[in-house]
Amino acid sequence: MHSNHQHQPEPSVMKKCKCFFDAFNSRMSFWSQCVFILIFALILFGPITNLLIWTVAETWYFPNALPSQWGMKYWYQVFNPYSDVSGSLLTSIFIAVLTVIVCLLVSVPAGYALSKHSMPFRVFWMLLFLIPQAFPNLTVYMNIARLFYDVGLNGTIVGVVIVHSVHGLMFSVWICVAAFASTDPMLERASRNLGAGPIYTFFHIVLPQAAPGIIASCIFVFLESLDEFTGTFFVGAPDITTLPLLLYTASMEGNYQIASITALILLVPSILFMLLINRFMKPEMLAKIGK
Amino acid sequence: MTRLNIENLNAGYGNKQILNDISLTVEQGEMIALLGPSGCGKTTLLNALCGFVPVSGGKIKVGNRDITTLPAENRNITMVFQSYALWPHMTVAQNVGYGLKVQKVAREEIEERVHELLSIVRLAGLANDKVTTLSGGQRQRVALARALAIRPDVLVLDEPLSNLDAKVRLNVRHEIKALQKQLGFTSLIVTHDQEEALVMADRIAVLNKGQIEQLGRPEEIYQSPKTPFVANFMGAENQIVWTPELESSILTGNSEALFVSRPTNLTANQQVFFRSENVTLITNTSRFDNDNSVLSLRGHVMQSAFFGNNYRISVQCGEHIIQADHTCDLPANTPVLLSVPAHALHVYDIETSFKSNAYATIQTSTSFQTI
Ligand SMILES: Nc1ncnc2c1ncn2[C@@H]1O[C@H](COP(=O)(O)OP(=O)(O)OP(=O)(O)O)[C@@H](O)[C@H]1O
Ligand SMILES: [Mg+2]
Repeated sequence: MHSNHQHQPEPSVMKKCKCFFDAFNSRMSFWSQCVFILIFALILFGPITNLLIWTVAETWYFPNALPSQWGMKYWYQVFNPYSDVSGSLLTSIFIAVLTVIVCLLVSVPAGYALSKHSMPFRVFWMLLFLIPQAFPNLTVYMNIARLFYDVGLNGTIVGVVIVHSVHGLMFSVWICVAAFASTDPMLERASRNLGAGPIYTFFHIVLPQAAPGIIASCIFVFLESLDEFTGTFFVGAPDITTLPLLLYTASMEGNYQIASITALILLVPSILFMLLINRFMKPEMLAKIGK
Repeated sequence: MTRLNIENLNAGYGNKQILNDISLTVEQGEMIALLGPSGCGKTTLLNALCGFVPVSGGKIKVGNRDITTLPAENRNITMVFQSYALWPHMTVAQNVGYGLKVQKVAREEIEERVHELLSIVRLAGLANDKVTTLSGGQRQRVALARALAIRPDVLVLDEPLSNLDAKVRLNVRHEIKALQKQLGFTSLIVTHDQEEALVMADRIAVLNKGQIEQLGRPEEIYQSPKTPFVANFMGAENQIVWTPELESSILTGNSEALFVSRPTNLTANQQVFFRSENVTLITNTSRFDNDNSVLSLRGHVMQSAFFGNNYRISVQCGEHIIQADHTCDLPANTPVLLSVPAHALHVYDIETSFKSNAYATIQTSTSFQTI
């Protein structure tokens, strides 16, 4: 690195010195990197370590640094097919999948239409999907709950799915607009030119081009739905119990083991998501968001 | 393949009119080149033919079928796009077979046709490659095969060669021409390269500001351009406005004058265009013959550029700068005598060239041609 652009001949002693210095330097930077990563990991994973310990602690009282009794008792409890956890896990996934479907059905056509600059009131429509996020969540959900109570949607899966969808649409519409906007309109023309109608063209040319972005938006919506608490609490509870609601109840009851294991379960999709997003998001698409 | 008939076509974007009253007939099996400077509306014309730009007036007919208002997918005019517009999520074969798949042609038949086309454009081995792995020239040929696969009535090509480097461009140029002869498709090719148009086309339509300035065989366009614009665009880059002052300086017969002689067909208030290749350059400036068949003038060398087979010398003659081809290099400030034979001069009346009245310009130039 340093020595590459040195062209004049050097005495061999100097060379040796330099080699030593280089080696020292690179070793230093290696160790400093290690320390840096360690500190970083501690900050990041410290709370998670605590959480991990809780999942395998059977008894752990306050002043002790570590649990007094270790064991997998609560894991069995959680994965017991009749437990609250597996039940609410299923509910959570069911709701998340439905939410993804609803969001797809809205945001694919909306995203395609809004990606065309000829669309009237384009900015207005785009902002419309942001409006629910502009107000404090709590007030919005309380009002939705009141409304749903009148029409009998409170405490139903449908009600919760609607609440999750309103939240998810913000992401999915904006990402889909970006995904469709980053497709080349000439590809569409070429298809029409060869005799394909607009619908055939949409499914065979446009959709495959936008697919990575659409998949990314699905993943976003899915995870947002899994993690959603406030809306579910106001609209769904107590009839509908999703994982975050269960987590909340368990923590309130002081059942940290169940809470920690539930949290760990919720962590899995997030990590998968990180990996997937890497594969599906094109950088040039991110640049098109909001264009 | 059938003839394409464009009658008084008007088209544009929103309120902006781009094409004015275009009339053009492309005969069965003929290739016409649309030649014009950037922004003159060549792509717009092709888009109007293909149904991507709404037509505000006039008619487009293919054979006896009026297609003016048909949606793009029902026109059977295919386009080779300037950017190729190949579908990156499909293989070469899928790209080429797409049009047939849309028509629900049987799979074996599609395969057969795709194979046939790929061997025509010499890409037989690449059927299952992703188009994103191809070179520019190969993509170009896939785009051509794709457009030909459905046997269109008319093929239009939008600057098919502009994205290729010079050598590949020559190859593909010959390939397209050979293919056009072999398959005999009716086609319109857009280019802004005059050489390309001369080599490839049966006839050339020179477009300027959304109007056809001249339509004719390559020889006609090259040798007798009907308007100053066409003359200039076809490479006659030397222009002299023949003012009354120049005229009087010739008449006095002063041997020191800038302009030594002029042919009889050049009179005051005309402008004259000629190519650098038609200029004869003599370094012996003492020779002085008042020849009525040549335009000759004095000047001195400004600079010279090496063009391979000759040198292009820029000569300053008063306020005019004239380009002349010469066999050897000349140092700056060498006094020279230039002469251009009358038959190489394209003369136009100044008034008519400022008016956009096409008929007047045609008349002046025909009167010139009889001389
Ligand atoms: N989508 C559009 N909306 C509005 N005006 C346009 C549009 N596309 C082209 N134009 C205008 O129409 C005119 C003709 O454009 P066109 O693309 O036909 O030119 P061209 O002859 O193909 O030029 P080039 O050789 O550069 O491709 C230009 O002045 C351009 O500004
Ligand atoms: Mg163009």
